[in-house]
Amino acid sequence: MSMKTGSSRRKTSVVLAATLAMGTMMVSHAALAQTRLLETGSSLLYPLFNLWVPVYGKSHPGVQITTQSTGSGTGISEAVSGIAQIGASDAYMSNAQIKMHPAILNIPLTISSQMINYNVPGLNGRHLRLSGPVLADMYSGQIRYWDAPAVRELNPGVRLPHKQIVLIHRTDGSGDTFIFSQYLSFSTPSWNNSVGYGTTISWPAVQGGIGAEGNPGMVNACKGTPYSIAYIGISFKQAIGKAGLGEAMLKNRAGRFVLPAPKTIGAAVRAMAAHTPADERISLVFAPGAESYPIINYEYAIVNANQDGKTAGAVKEFFSWALSHGNSPYFMKQVGFVPLPPAIVKLSEAQIAKIH
Amino acid sequence: MKFRAWLALVAGILPVILLAVVLFLAFYSEQAIHFNGWGFVVRNTWNLGNLYMDPITRHGFQVQPGATYGILFLIVGTLLSTFLALLFAVPVGIGAAIFLAEAIPSHLRTWISFFVELLMAIPSVVFGLWGYVVVIPFLSRHLFPLLAATLGRLIPFFAGPTGSGYSLLTASIVLALMIVPIIAATLRDALVSQPVSLREAALGLGATRFEALWKVILPGARKTLIGATFLALGRALGETMAVLMVSGNALNYLPHNIYDPISTMAAFIVSQLDSALQDPTGMAVRSLAEIAFVLAIISVIVNGLARLLLLVWNNGQRTAAV
Repeated sequence: MSMKTGSSRRKTSVVLAATLAMGTMMVSHAALAQTRLLETGSSLLYPLFNLWVPVYGKSHPGVQITTQSTGSGTGISEAVSGIAQIGASDAYMSNAQIKMHPAILNIPLTISSQMINYNVPGLNGRHLRLSGPVLADMYSGQIRYWDAPAVRELNPGVRLPHKQIVLIHRTDGSGDTFIFSQYLSFSTPSWNNSVGYGTTISWPAVQGGIGAEGNPGMVNACKGTPYSIAYIGISFKQAIGKAGLGEAMLKNRAGRFVLPAPKTIGAAVRAMAAHTPADERISLVFAPGAESYPIINYEYAIVNANQDGKTAGAVKEFFSWALSHGNSPYFMKQVGFVPLPPAIVKLSEAQIAKIH
Repeated sequence: MKFRAWLALVAGILPVILLAVVLFLAFYSEQAIHFNGWGFVVRNTWNLGNLYMDPITRHGFQVQPGATYGILFLIVGTLLSTFLALLFAVPVGIGAAIFLAEAIPSHLRTWISFFVELLMAIPSVVFGLWGYVVVIPFLSRHLFPLLAATLGRLIPFFAGPTGSGYSLLTASIVLALMIVPIIAATLRDALVSQPVSLREAALGLGATRFEALWKVILPGARKTLIGATFLALGRALGETMAVLMVSGNALNYLPHNIYDPISTMAAFIVSQLDSALQDPTGMAVRSLAEIAFVLAIISVIVNGLARLLLLVWNNGQRTAAV
């Protein structure tokens, strides 16, 4: 009896094994041909990766890239832990982090910028003028109303409403928080001394302030909340337009008010690119120059220099493509990014060569 | 004998796991507990410090410059949202249970009860998404201004500004909707399983149908009601995803009115873990673990208090009856 059940069980298991083997053969056939890469992180870079990956996949069928929008904080931590092969971040890693993880490279792939958006019914069609110190006063609770004297002074002739400002900030670890708080820190000493900058900062306690997840969450919260203000990546400009939000002109280091556009971003890049060190960890925020837009940054791929043989090749090939084809006007225009200048491309290529 | 040993082993695993989790939290957050001191639960500042500067040594611990960890706003947010959710959910749950047990025709009863139980099985993220897309715009445009104009005149906590819709009240409403089915379904079962003779006796003594229900049937199911409320309380205290999506994730401040954003301990742990992992000293992650530890302690205290209340109440009833 027990023999019989044993043999029948064995039969079943043989059949099962055969089925499984057939299944895995089919899967492994596909897997043999494909190297899988996981990209995760920056929600600002996500729209660009979404454009890149299908085009790249067509010309490189051997590589399958999955993209995720999870925030720069996750991008850095998952690239460090090895969950993702490519971490996307708008922020470079700190010295202390680099000391802990010396094999991690911060490689700029392109240049982005950030908008300050607001939802002030009746005024969303015009570009309100704002400055670093005024934004710092708003986010630290010293300016509570849209018609405060400091805001009126920047916008003569504009009828600002006597409504409380609703501040929106990012809840997740975010490169957007990083560059926004850098703009406030570099332009406003009191902010620098009290709050400072980082991918996560301790936002001063201001009643009614909202935390939102990712750039899509920022757009949604700003759209649904009259009299709110938010900082949102340039790649969400179309979404901003659809949501009918306003876009502020920002005061740059030279004291002029500018909007983010290829011309103003390019001016800031020209002012800062020459200072870029070999490891490319540098802030481009609050650049000098009359035309310079104040909040721009390198968009980083966070990569471990030590990869498996096949993965290393695939990652390097993808990065080289991103620096050349990926920086073409076809892609850049759609997300409002600016290509890396040739000198920076060389620095990035030198870093890519370290991956093995 | 062998079967019994197996059972003992399986049953024994449960308390061991509970103990292991609490011990892990205590050990893992030990450094944070020492560094933060009692200030952790009374301070209102959560600050990872400047992550772009080199770590410094403070009170013998490696931390980032400026690092301060205080979670009073999270404790207040958690307790307030849970309390309000129970306040909404218990009466509605009781009403629903009575309706399901007494008022609907018996051929529909099974079906409708089935749907209520299905409601329990819906993942919380679905509630969160629905709250995010549907409830928030509705509340901020219609209900909140109305509440502020009416109740707000009487009770200061209901007065404006009515804010953005991401709020304490929104979180409480979504939480309440999640826990109503727990109370309704459990209580309905208890009501249905009350002996028919009890009701017949009450009716025979001249009680109306309502009196029989209110004075005889419902008190008989009191223990079940309290048990279900504990379950609901536990769920509301620990709920993460739905709260994360509708609460507004307030940081470092307490709500001044019912329309202000809040955050809860469970939601905060999820939303801040990635940021905390950026801290090279590791103190941020340990402080998050300390939040989990505090949440565990608060759950035990709240549950203990509720049980104590039950005990006192039961004794009171008994003496009153004598």
